[in-house]
Amino acid sequence: MSNFQRFLAKRLAISILLTLVAVSVIFVVLRLLPGSPFEALVTAGNLNQEQITEIRSLYGLDKSIWAQYISYMSSILTFQFGYSILRSQPVWSVLEPRLVNTLILLVPALVTTAVLSSSLGMYVGWNRGSFLEKFSIISTTFLRSTPVFITGIIFIIIFAYNLDIVPAFGMRSVAASPEGYLDTFVSLDFLHHYILPFTVAVVYYSGDFLLLARNGVVEKRGSEFLKLHRAKGLSEMQQLARAGRNSMLPILTYFALRLGMIFQGLILLEVVFGWPGIGRELVLAIQQQDYPLVQAAVFIMALAVIIANLAADVLYAYFDPTVSTGGGGSA
Amino acid sequence: MSAETKPKGELYKRVDTISKLIRNQFAFLRQDRLAFAGMIVVAGFAFLGVFGPFLAPHDPIEYTVRNNAGSLLRLSPPTGAALFGTTAYGKDILSQFLAGARPTFIVGLFGGLGTGAIGFLVGLVSGYYGGWVDEILMRLTDLTFSLPFMPMALLLLTFVTPSVWLMTAIIAGFLWKMPARVVRSEVLSVRERTFVKSARASGASNLRTMLYHVAPNVLPIGFLYTAYGIAWAIAAQASLAFLGFGDPTMTSWGRMLRQVFESGNIRIAWWWVFPPAIAIAAVTTSVFLIGRAYEEVINPEIQVDQ
Repeated sequence: MSNFQRFLAKRLAISILLTLVAVSVIFVVLRLLPGSPFEALVTAGNLNQEQITEIRSLYGLDKSIWAQYISYMSSILTFQFGYSILRSQPVWSVLEPRLVNTLILLVPALVTTAVLSSSLGMYVGWNRGSFLEKFSIISTTFLRSTPVFITGIIFIIIFAYNLDIVPAFGMRSVAASPEGYLDTFVSLDFLHHYILPFTVAVVYYSGDFLLLARNGVVEKRGSEFLKLHRAKGLSEMQQLARAGRNSMLPILTYFALRLGMIFQGLILLEVVFGWPGIGRELVLAIQQQDYPLVQAAVFIMALAVIIANLAADVLYAYFDPTVSTGGGGSA
Repeated sequence: MSAETKPKGELYKRVDTISKLIRNQFAFLRQDRLAFAGMIVVAGFAFLGVFGPFLAPHDPIEYTVRNNAGSLLRLSPPTGAALFGTTAYGKDILSQFLAGARPTFIVGLFGGLGTGAIGFLVGLVSGYYGGWVDEILMRLTDLTFSLPFMPMALLLLTFVTPSVWLMTAIIAGFLWKMPARVVRSEVLSVRERTFVKSARASGASNLRTMLYHVAPNVLPIGFLYTAYGIAWAIAAQASLAFLGFGDPTMTSWGRMLRQVFESGNIRIAWWWVFPPAIAIAAVTTSVFLIGRAYEEVINPEIQVDQ
């Protein structure tokens, strides 16, 4: 096995182990939670003892905790998420559309901001000390450090309530009843609802990409290979393109990490804009103590982060030969 | 090595060095106008965090504002009776704003300090000892990275009644991973430097070498991440409170925003939205601006002005 293959195998093994541990942690935390969804039903007097026993055995809650753990592990790792307790629907058929809604909002936002903010960051890094540099750093510092729900509320007040150009809430207007994804997402009504949360997500993510790109270019600016390019007679922009290309790696890996975290949705953004995404669904499920829904949602989120971490590590090791793949684990 | 055991002169010298250190830091922050402005905001915030509840003219939850006829003043814009206006329940917003600074301040300060301290220690030990110690600590870090922070925090807060200190513990328990990784990679490079090797060669124990020779050299980055930790903790506290998972016994800025949002009054009651919203945004931004000023010292290659 080459060094790189050994590195890959080790990272893969670690990721699998991490998944197992993370899933177990979710199980333990959920078992620690006091109360169960049935308690509400029991105290409301809607169920007699016989019915309670029946439902408990239906969900396997009468077995020992180890038996429950084993059956939990075997089903969640094979993506069988079971039945939502409160919605009487398979968990996946609740989560899938929510996850799609989240991804359709956040993936384009992340890609947009990665391209725009990184380019801007490279440009201002090249023209150090300019007004544009200071302005962009202050504004993105403000935007990335302010909690996203505050930015969201301020945008809603300005654009939805005062200027009245976009709706403040939801993904489609109340009257719309679209069938299927194509019908839902390809419509002017959707675009109308989409533009504001999309903008907030773009500006919220912009700060890190801008600073990463700027710092990368600033560090490269004095280096030898650029002197060569200058001596060769390349224009400023052509030199910047080469400096930028050489500072792409941190941006690329950061993009991979962020992409993994997108599966969590931006809970607060979704709550503020009433966007029916996975993060908002999770908050509702926690409040209603819908165990199967909660554990499936958290599992999906954790798995996405683990895979993205793996991808980022491998990308780094593959593209940057100075990262040692032989020895230790993550860089 | 406590200062009391030394002669008096030594003690004075020490106090002198410390005050000089503080004055130097102050002078340093003065140079960077942004960081200086940030420092003023943070100082004001700390003042409100400590004294805010005493300054509040009324009890933020019990007291209701009434007009001359004695009827409840609901959703009143700023007036003489209530300088910042009133909420939908006729509560005084100025009082809520002043009292609400405290939980934000406690969670921010201690959550940030906890994040910095745990992360620094984990990174230091992990980087210095290497081997299986490093392997275990870094896999633990990976685990906290893979468990999504917000959902896990929400889960834990439904299982125990939220209190300010519990929130502080949860936040520090999740955020330490950030400084841990950065400090570790710094330690890895410091560990190979000559003065560390000579300390080991002259017979210093591992613990002594780590604490007296390696740690001081990575301390600045520890402080930097403590500052960032404070900003993250404030944002996390405000976010949790906004989702309704905050301490139910205390008014906080995040909770004020939740109430105005839930009651559907953000459309009209700008006087209710802006004080807590602007305060949170100003404090988190200021902490980051101060952090950036220090980051430029640690890594001079990224300075704005040459």
